[in-house]
Amino acid sequence: MEIKKLLFVTKFEELGFDALRSLLNLRNSALEHVVFVNVIERDRVAMRRGKGYQKDEEVRLREAANIRFIDWAENLFEKGMEVGCYIVVGGLVPEVIKATQKEDADLIVIGRSTKGVLEHLYSGSDVTELLRRAWTPVLVYKHLSETAISVEEPFERPILAIDWSPGSLRAVEYLKGLKDTLQEVHLVHVADEKDLKSSSAMAIQKTRKEARNKLEEIRESFEAAGIKAREHVYIGDPDEEIEKAAKDCQATMIVLGSSAKAAWVEKFLGSTPRKISEESIYPTLLIPPEKGEE
Amino acid sequence: MSKKVLVVDDDPDVRLFSVTVLEENGYTPLEAEDGEVGLKKIKEEKPDLVILDVLMPRQSGVRLYRELKTSKALKDVKVIILSGIAKKTFLRFQKALTEFGGSEIPEPEIYLEKPVEPDELAGVIKKALG
Repeated sequence: MEIKKLLFVTKFEELGFDALRSLLNLRNSALEHVVFVNVIERDRVAMRRGKGYQKDEEVRLREAANIRFIDWAENLFEKGMEVGCYIVVGGLVPEVIKATQKEDADLIVIGRSTKGVLEHLYSGSDVTELLRRAWTPVLVYKHLSETAISVEEPFERPILAIDWSPGSLRAVEYLKGLKDTLQEVHLVHVADEKDLKSSSAMAIQKTRKEARNKLEEIRESFEAAGIKAREHVYIGDPDEEIEKAAKDCQATMIVLGSSAKAAWVEKFLGSTPRKISEESIYPTLLIPPEKGEE
Repeated sequence: MSKKVLVVDDDPDVRLFSVTVLEENGYTPLEAEDGEVGLKKIKEEKPDLVILDVLMPRQSGVRLYRELKTSKALKDVKVIILSGIAKKTFLRFQKALTEFGGSEIPEPEIYLEKPVEPDELAGVIKKALG
Protein backbone atom coordinates (compact mmCIF):
# COMPACT_ATOMS: atom_id res chain seq x y z
CA MET A 1 0.00 0.00 0.00
CA GLU A 2 1.55 3.30 -1.05
CA ILE A 3 0.59 6.97 -0.90
CA LYS A 4 1.03 8.10 -4.51
CA LYS A 5 -1.74 10.64 -4.64
CA LEU A 6 -3.13 12.78 -1.83
CA LEU A 7 -6.18 14.99 -1.74
CA PHE A 8 -5.55 18.21 0.21
CA VAL A 9 -8.92 19.58 1.33
CA THR A 10 -8.73 23.16 2.56
CA LYS A 11 -10.89 26.12 3.47
CA PHE A 12 -7.58 28.08 3.75
CA GLU A 13 -8.13 29.41 7.28
CA GLU A 14 -7.24 26.06 8.89
CA LEU A 15 -4.83 24.47 6.41
CA GLY A 16 -2.26 26.38 4.45
CA PHE A 17 0.74 25.55 2.29
CA ASP A 18 2.93 25.08 5.38
CA ALA A 19 0.78 22.07 6.32
CA LEU A 20 1.17 20.60 2.86
CA ARG A 21 4.90 21.28 2.91
CA SER A 22 5.21 19.23 6.12
CA LEU A 23 3.80 16.23 4.23
CA LEU A 24 6.15 16.44 1.28
CA ASN A 25 8.62 14.01 2.85
CA LEU A 26 6.11 11.39 1.61
CA ARG A 27 7.87 11.92 -1.72
CA ASN A 28 10.72 9.79 -0.28
CA SER A 29 8.21 6.93 -0.43
CA ALA A 30 5.87 7.24 -3.41
CA LEU A 31 4.02 10.58 -3.36
CA GLU A 32 3.95 12.14 -6.82
CA HIS A 33 0.57 13.82 -7.18
CA VAL A 34 -1.27 16.36 -4.99
CA VAL A 35 -4.86 17.37 -5.68
CA PHE A 36 -6.21 20.54 -4.03
CA VAL A 37 -9.87 20.62 -3.09
CA ASN A 38 -11.78 23.71 -2.00
CA VAL A 39 -15.49 23.29 -1.37
CA ILE A 40 -17.51 26.50 -1.29
CA GLU A 41 -20.36 25.49 0.97
CA ARG A 42 -23.76 26.26 -0.48
CA ASP A 43 -24.90 28.48 2.38
CA ARG A 44 -22.15 30.98 1.47
CA VAL A 45 -23.60 31.64 -1.96
CA ALA A 46 -27.24 30.56 -1.83
CA MET A 47 -30.35 30.63 0.30
CA ARG A 48 -29.87 34.24 1.41
CA ARG A 49 -33.27 35.75 2.04
CA GLY A 50 -34.26 38.17 -0.71
CA LYS A 51 -31.06 37.61 -2.69
CA GLY A 52 -31.40 34.13 -4.21
CA TYR A 53 -28.25 32.60 -5.63
CA GLN A 54 -25.27 34.97 -5.43
CA LYS A 55 -23.34 34.23 -8.61
CA ASP A 56 -21.01 37.21 -8.03
CA GLU A 57 -20.05 35.89 -4.61
CA GLU A 58 -19.41 32.42 -6.07
CA VAL A 59 -17.12 33.91 -8.73
CA ARG A 60 -15.27 35.94 -6.08
CA LEU A 61 -14.74 32.89 -3.83
CA ARG A 62 -13.70 30.70 -6.78
CA GLU A 63 -11.14 33.21 -7.98
CA ALA A 64 -9.75 33.75 -4.46
CA ALA A 65 -9.25 29.97 -4.16
CA ASN A 66 -7.86 29.73 -7.68
CA ILE A 67 -5.22 32.40 -7.04
CA ARG A 68 -3.97 30.55 -3.95
CA PHE A 69 -3.96 27.18 -5.67
CA ILE A 70 -2.03 28.55 -8.65
CA ASP A 71 0.65 29.82 -6.29
CA TRP A 72 0.83 26.48 -4.44
CA ALA A 73 0.73 24.52 -7.69
CA GLU A 74 3.63 26.50 -9.16
CA ASN A 75 5.66 25.59 -6.08
CA LEU A 76 4.90 21.87 -6.49
CA PHE A 77 5.25 21.80 -10.29
CA GLU A 78 8.73 23.26 -9.89
CA LYS A 79 9.58 20.37 -7.55
CA GLY A 80 8.58 17.97 -10.35
CA MET A 81 5.24 16.97 -8.82
CA GLU A 82 1.92 16.47 -10.57
CA VAL A 83 -0.84 18.79 -9.33
CA GLY A 84 -4.60 18.96 -9.83
CA CYS A 85 -7.37 21.05 -8.36
CA TYR A 86 -11.11 21.16 -7.69
CA ILE A 87 -13.00 24.30 -6.69
CA VAL A 88 -16.64 23.35 -6.34
CA VAL A 89 -19.87 24.56 -4.77
CA GLY A 90 -21.68 21.93 -2.69
CA GLY A 91 -21.58 19.95 0.55
CA LEU A 92 -18.09 19.28 1.94
CA VAL A 93 -18.33 15.53 2.44
CA PRO A 94 -20.13 14.58 -0.82
CA GLU A 95 -17.78 16.75 -2.89
CA VAL A 96 -14.66 15.32 -1.20
CA ILE A 97 -15.93 11.80 -1.77
CA LYS A 98 -16.65 12.55 -5.42
CA ALA A 99 -13.13 13.94 -5.90
CA THR A 100 -11.57 10.99 -4.02
CA GLN A 101 -13.34 8.52 -6.29
CA LYS A 102 -12.55 10.42 -9.49
CA GLU A 103 -8.89 10.73 -8.55
CA ASP A 104 -8.55 7.31 -6.89
CA ALA A 105 -6.61 9.05 -4.09
CA ASP A 106 -4.64 7.13 -1.44
CA LEU A 107 -5.01 9.70 1.35
CA ILE A 108 -7.37 12.55 2.21
CA VAL A 109 -5.89 15.41 4.27
CA ILE A 110 -8.41 17.63 6.03
CA GLY A 111 -8.39 20.18 8.86
CA ARG A 112 -10.09 19.66 12.18
CA SER A 113 -13.88 19.85 11.98
CA THR A 114 -15.22 23.30 12.76
CA LYS A 115 -18.82 22.27 13.35
CA GLY A 116 -20.47 23.32 16.60
CA VAL A 117 -21.78 20.95 19.29
CA LEU A 118 -25.37 21.10 18.02
CA GLU A 119 -24.36 20.50 14.41
CA HIS A 120 -22.34 17.49 15.55
CA LEU A 121 -25.30 16.08 17.41
CA TYR A 122 -27.58 16.34 14.41
CA SER A 123 -25.25 15.64 11.50
CA GLY A 124 -22.14 13.99 12.99
CA SER A 125 -18.60 15.14 12.24
CA ASP A 126 -17.28 15.62 8.73
CA VAL A 127 -14.41 13.23 9.46
CA THR A 128 -16.68 10.46 10.75
CA GLU A 129 -18.94 10.84 7.75
CA LEU A 130 -15.96 10.85 5.39
CA LEU A 131 -14.59 7.64 6.86
CA ARG A 132 -17.94 5.95 6.69
CA ARG A 133 -18.40 6.80 3.04
CA ALA A 134 -14.97 7.07 1.44
CA TRP A 135 -13.03 3.94 2.53
CA THR A 136 -9.86 5.98 2.08
CA PRO A 137 -7.46 6.84 4.93
CA VAL A 138 -8.04 10.34 6.34
CA LEU A 139 -5.38 12.51 7.97
CA VAL A 140 -6.94 15.09 10.29
CA TYR A 141 -4.18 17.68 10.22
CA LYS A 142 -3.32 19.80 13.26
CA HIS A 143 -0.40 22.12 13.75
CA LEU A 144 1.73 20.79 16.59
CA SER A 145 3.13 24.22 17.22
CA GLU A 146 1.55 27.44 16.04
CA THR A 147 4.72 29.39 16.73
CA ALA A 148 7.48 27.04 15.58
CA ILE A 149 9.44 28.28 12.59
CA SER A 150 10.22 24.77 11.37
CA VAL A 151 7.14 22.66 10.85
CA GLU A 152 7.02 19.15 12.33
CA GLU A 153 6.62 16.42 9.76
CA PRO A 154 3.70 14.21 10.89
CA PHE A 155 5.02 11.06 9.20
CA GLU A 156 8.38 11.24 10.99
CA ARG A 157 7.56 9.53 14.32
CA PRO A 158 3.97 8.26 14.41
CA ILE A 159 2.47 6.16 17.15
CA LEU A 160 0.21 3.42 15.91
CA ALA A 161 -2.56 2.46 18.34
CA ILE A 162 -3.39 -1.19 17.81
CA ASP A 163 -6.58 -2.85 19.01
CA TRP A 164 -6.34 -5.80 16.58
CA SER A 165 -9.33 -4.51 14.59
CA PRO A 166 -9.25 -4.89 10.77
CA GLY A 167 -8.63 -1.14 10.48
CA SER A 168 -5.64 -1.16 12.83
CA LEU A 169 -4.14 -4.20 11.08
CA ARG A 170 -4.59 -2.43 7.74
CA ALA A 171 -2.80 0.54 9.31
CA VAL A 172 0.22 -1.72 9.96
CA GLU A 173 0.44 -2.52 6.23
CA TYR A 174 -0.19 1.12 5.28
CA LEU A 175 2.74 2.33 7.41
CA LYS A 176 5.03 -0.40 6.08
CA GLY A 177 4.63 1.18 2.66
CA LEU A 178 6.29 4.35 4.04
CA LYS A 179 9.70 2.88 4.86
CA ASP A 180 11.61 5.77 3.28
CA THR A 181 9.59 8.43 5.11
CA LEU A 182 9.27 7.13 8.68
CA GLN A 183 12.10 7.48 11.17
CA GLU A 184 10.54 5.29 13.84
CA VAL A 185 7.11 3.86 14.69
CA HIS A 186 5.82 3.39 18.23
CA LEU A 187 3.32 0.56 18.56
CA VAL A 188 0.86 1.04 21.41
CA HIS A 189 -1.86 -1.19 22.74
CA VAL A 190 -4.17 0.12 25.45
CA ALA A 191 -5.74 -2.58 27.59
CA ASP A 192 -9.06 -1.18 28.74
CA GLU A 193 -9.52 -1.47 32.51
CA LYS A 194 -13.04 -2.82 31.88
CA ASP A 195 -11.54 -5.75 30.01
CA LEU A 196 -9.23 -6.86 32.81
CA LYS A 197 -10.68 -10.13 34.05
CA SER A 198 -9.39 -9.70 37.58
CA SER A 199 -7.95 -6.88 39.60
CA SER A 200 -5.08 -9.01 40.90
CA ALA A 201 -1.55 -7.89 40.04
CA MET A 202 -0.86 -11.27 38.45
CA ALA A 203 -3.85 -11.01 36.09
CA ILE A 204 -2.95 -7.48 35.06
CA GLN A 205 0.65 -8.51 34.38
CA LYS A 206 -0.62 -11.46 32.37
CA THR A 207 -2.78 -9.18 30.21
CA ARG A 208 0.20 -6.89 29.68
CA LYS A 209 2.46 -9.80 28.73
CA GLU A 210 -0.04 -11.21 26.23
CA ALA A 211 -0.49 -7.82 24.56
CA ARG A 212 3.26 -7.24 24.49
CA ASN A 213 3.90 -10.60 22.83
CA LYS A 214 1.39 -9.78 20.11
CA LEU A 215 2.93 -6.33 19.64
CA GLU A 216 6.39 -7.90 19.39
CA GLU A 217 5.25 -9.86 16.35
CA ILE A 218 4.14 -6.65 14.71
CA ARG A 219 7.39 -4.90 15.68
CA GLU A 220 9.35 -7.74 14.08
CA SER A 221 7.31 -7.40 10.89
CA PHE A 222 8.14 -3.66 10.79
CA GLU A 223 11.81 -4.37 11.32
CA ALA A 224 11.73 -7.01 8.57
CA ALA A 225 10.40 -4.23 6.33
CA GLY A 226 13.37 -2.03 7.34
CA ILE A 227 11.46 0.25 9.74
CA LYS A 228 12.61 0.92 13.31
CA ALA A 229 9.77 0.20 15.76
CA ARG A 230 9.15 -0.04 19.53
CA GLU A 231 6.23 -1.54 21.39
CA HIS A 232 4.41 -0.19 24.48
CA VAL A 233 1.45 -1.42 26.53
CA TYR A 234 -0.73 1.04 28.47
CA ILE A 235 -3.70 0.31 30.72
CA GLY A 236 -6.69 2.60 31.18
CA ASP A 237 -9.11 4.65 29.13
CA PRO A 238 -7.99 4.35 25.45
CA ASP A 239 -8.77 8.00 24.59
CA GLU A 240 -6.59 9.31 27.42
CA GLU A 241 -3.85 6.68 27.27
CA ILE A 242 -3.23 7.06 23.53
CA GLU A 243 -2.74 10.80 24.04
CA LYS A 244 -0.35 10.10 26.97
CA ALA A 245 1.57 7.57 24.88
CA ALA A 246 1.94 10.12 22.08
CA LYS A 247 3.44 12.59 24.55
CA ASP A 248 5.73 9.97 26.13
CA CYS A 249 7.04 8.94 22.71
CA GLN A 250 7.34 12.53 21.45
CA ALA A 251 5.22 11.40 18.56
CA THR A 252 4.47 13.56 15.54
CA MET A 253 1.15 11.87 14.73
CA ILE A 254 -1.36 9.33 16.04
CA VAL A 255 -2.42 6.52 13.69
CA LEU A 256 -5.61 4.58 14.40
CA GLY A 257 -7.72 2.00 12.66
CA SER A 258 -11.33 3.10 12.37
CA SER A 259 -14.49 1.06 12.23
CA ALA A 260 -17.62 1.57 10.22
CA LYS A 261 -19.98 1.96 13.17
CA ALA A 262 -23.53 2.98 12.42
CA ALA A 263 -24.03 6.73 12.46
CA TRP A 264 -26.33 6.75 15.48
CA VAL A 265 -23.90 4.68 17.58
CA GLU A 266 -21.14 7.23 16.86
CA LYS A 267 -23.38 10.17 17.63
CA PHE A 268 -24.57 9.00 21.00
CA LEU A 269 -21.79 6.77 22.29
CA GLY A 270 -18.79 8.27 20.57
CA SER A 271 -15.69 6.35 19.50
CA THR A 272 -11.98 6.54 20.17
CA PRO A 273 -11.02 7.44 16.55
CA ARG A 274 -13.61 10.19 16.46
CA LYS A 275 -12.66 11.61 19.87
CA ILE A 276 -8.94 11.56 19.13
CA SER A 277 -9.35 13.05 15.67
CA GLU A 278 -11.38 15.90 17.11
CA GLU A 279 -9.83 16.47 20.53
CA SER A 280 -6.20 15.36 20.42
CA ILE A 281 -3.49 17.93 19.85
CA TYR A 282 -1.77 15.53 17.43
CA PRO A 283 -2.42 15.10 13.72
CA THR A 284 -4.50 11.93 13.47
CA LEU A 285 -4.38 9.44 10.65
CA LEU A 286 -7.49 7.23 10.52
CA ILE A 287 -7.34 4.04 8.50
CA PRO A 288 -10.64 2.35 7.67
CA PRO A 289 -10.82 -1.40 7.13
CA GLU A 290 -10.93 -2.78 3.58
CA LYS A 291 -14.43 -2.67 2.12
CA GLY A 292 -16.33 -5.74 3.30
CA GLU A 293 -13.98 -6.30 6.29
CA GLU A 294 -15.80 -4.03 8.74
CA MET B 1 -14.44 21.88 -43.98
CA SER B 2 -13.64 24.06 -40.97
CA LYS B 3 -10.70 23.16 -38.75
CA LYS B 4 -11.34 21.38 -35.46
CA VAL B 5 -10.02 22.91 -32.24
CA LEU B 6 -10.20 21.10 -28.90
CA VAL B 7 -10.44 23.17 -25.70
CA VAL B 8 -9.19 21.26 -22.62
CA ASP B 9 -10.04 23.18 -19.44
CA ASP B 10 -11.82 22.26 -16.19
CA ASP B 11 -13.38 25.71 -15.86
CA PRO B 12 -16.71 25.78 -17.74
CA ASP B 13 -16.57 29.58 -18.04
CA VAL B 14 -13.20 29.42 -19.79
CA ARG B 15 -14.46 26.66 -22.10
CA LEU B 16 -17.51 28.76 -22.96
CA PHE B 17 -15.30 31.78 -23.67
CA SER B 18 -12.93 29.82 -25.94
CA VAL B 19 -15.76 27.99 -27.73
CA THR B 20 -17.47 31.33 -28.47
CA VAL B 21 -14.25 32.80 -29.88
CA LEU B 22 -13.77 29.68 -32.04
CA GLU B 23 -17.34 29.66 -33.38
CA GLU B 24 -17.22 33.35 -34.19
CA ASN B 25 -14.06 32.76 -36.22
CA GLY B 26 -15.41 29.82 -38.21
CA TYR B 27 -13.74 26.90 -36.43
CA THR B 28 -15.39 23.72 -35.11
CA PRO B 29 -14.93 23.64 -31.33
CA LEU B 30 -14.65 20.50 -29.22
CA GLU B 31 -14.50 20.40 -25.41
CA ALA B 32 -12.89 18.30 -22.66
CA GLU B 33 -12.94 18.96 -18.90
CA ASP B 34 -9.60 17.36 -17.94
CA GLY B 35 -6.43 15.86 -19.36
CA GLU B 36 -7.71 12.29 -19.45
CA VAL B 37 -10.86 13.15 -21.39
CA GLY B 38 -8.75 15.49 -23.53
CA LEU B 39 -6.34 12.75 -24.58
CA LYS B 40 -9.23 10.44 -25.45
CA LYS B 41 -10.82 13.14 -27.63
CA ILE B 42 -7.53 13.93 -29.35
CA LYS B 43 -7.18 10.26 -30.33
CA GLU B 44 -10.79 10.01 -31.49
CA GLU B 45 -11.29 13.38 -33.17
CA LYS B 46 -7.78 14.22 -34.40
CA PRO B 47 -8.19 18.01 -33.91
CA ASP B 48 -5.99 20.47 -35.82
CA LEU B 49 -5.24 22.44 -32.66
CA VAL B 50 -5.54 21.97 -28.88
CA ILE B 51 -6.01 24.87 -26.44
CA LEU B 52 -4.75 23.42 -23.18
CA ASP B 53 -5.02 24.47 -19.53
CA VAL B 54 -2.30 23.31 -17.08
CA LEU B 55 -3.92 22.95 -13.63
CA MET B 56 -6.79 20.45 -13.96
CA PRO B 57 -8.23 17.43 -12.15
CA ARG B 58 -7.18 13.83 -12.97
CA GLN B 59 -4.41 14.63 -15.45
CA SER B 60 -2.72 18.02 -15.71
CA GLY B 61 -1.92 19.82 -18.92
CA VAL B 62 1.79 19.24 -18.27
CA ARG B 63 1.33 15.48 -18.56
CA LEU B 64 -1.03 15.70 -21.49
CA TYR B 65 1.40 17.97 -23.38
CA ARG B 66 4.22 15.51 -22.69
CA GLU B 67 2.10 12.57 -23.88
CA LEU B 68 1.30 14.41 -27.10
CA LYS B 69 4.86 15.42 -27.83
CA THR B 70 6.29 11.97 -27.14
CA SER B 71 3.68 10.13 -29.22
CA LYS B 72 4.65 9.39 -32.84
CA ALA B 73 1.04 9.65 -33.94
CA LEU B 74 0.18 12.85 -32.04
CA LYS B 75 3.38 14.88 -31.81
CA ASP B 76 2.40 17.12 -34.75
CA VAL B 77 -0.87 18.28 -33.16
CA LYS B 78 -0.44 22.00 -32.54
CA VAL B 79 -0.89 23.22 -28.95
CA ILE B 80 -1.63 26.59 -27.38
CA ILE B 81 -1.22 26.60 -23.61
CA LEU B 82 -3.75 28.89 -21.91
CA SER B 83 -3.22 28.89 -18.15
CA GLY B 84 -2.87 30.83 -14.91
CA ILE B 85 0.38 28.94 -14.29
CA ALA B 86 3.45 30.92 -15.34
CA LYS B 87 5.34 29.78 -18.45
CA LYS B 88 8.63 29.50 -16.53
CA THR B 89 6.98 27.05 -14.07
CA PHE B 90 5.63 24.94 -16.92
CA LEU B 91 9.07 24.80 -18.52
CA ARG B 92 10.80 24.00 -15.21
CA PHE B 93 8.42 21.09 -14.60
CA GLN B 94 9.04 19.76 -18.10
CA LYS B 95 12.78 20.05 -17.44
CA ALA B 96 12.39 18.17 -14.12
CA LEU B 97 10.46 15.39 -15.88
CA THR B 98 13.20 15.16 -18.52
CA GLU B 99 15.83 14.94 -15.76
CA PHE B 100 13.86 12.11 -14.11
CA GLY B 101 14.37 10.05 -17.25
CA GLY B 102 11.75 11.43 -19.64
CA SER B 103 12.43 12.37 -23.25
CA GLU B 104 13.41 15.89 -24.26
CA ILE B 105 10.34 17.66 -25.66
CA PRO B 106 9.89 20.95 -27.51
CA GLU B 107 8.49 24.08 -25.87
CA PRO B 108 4.85 24.84 -26.70
CA GLU B 109 4.40 26.94 -29.85
CA ILE B 110 2.31 29.51 -27.99
CA TYR B 111 1.93 30.08 -24.24
CA LEU B 112 -0.70 32.53 -22.99
CA GLU B 113 -1.29 33.46 -19.37
CA LYS B 114 -4.94 33.90 -18.37
CA PRO B 115 -6.90 36.05 -18.80
CA VAL B 116 -6.80 36.79 -22.53
CA GLU B 117 -8.91 39.10 -24.68
CA PRO B 118 -11.05 37.51 -27.44
CA ASP B 119 -9.05 39.27 -30.20
CA GLU B 120 -5.75 38.08 -28.76
CA LEU B 121 -6.98 34.48 -28.61
CA ALA B 122 -8.44 34.63 -32.12
CA GLY B 123 -5.13 36.05 -33.38
CA VAL B 124 -2.96 33.29 -31.91
CA ILE B 125 -5.34 30.56 -33.14
CA LYS B 126 -5.09 31.97 -36.65
CA LYS B 127 -1.30 32.17 -36.34
CA ALA B 128 -1.02 28.59 -35.00
CA LEU B 129 -3.17 27.15 -37.78
CA GLY B 130 -1.24 29.07 -40.42
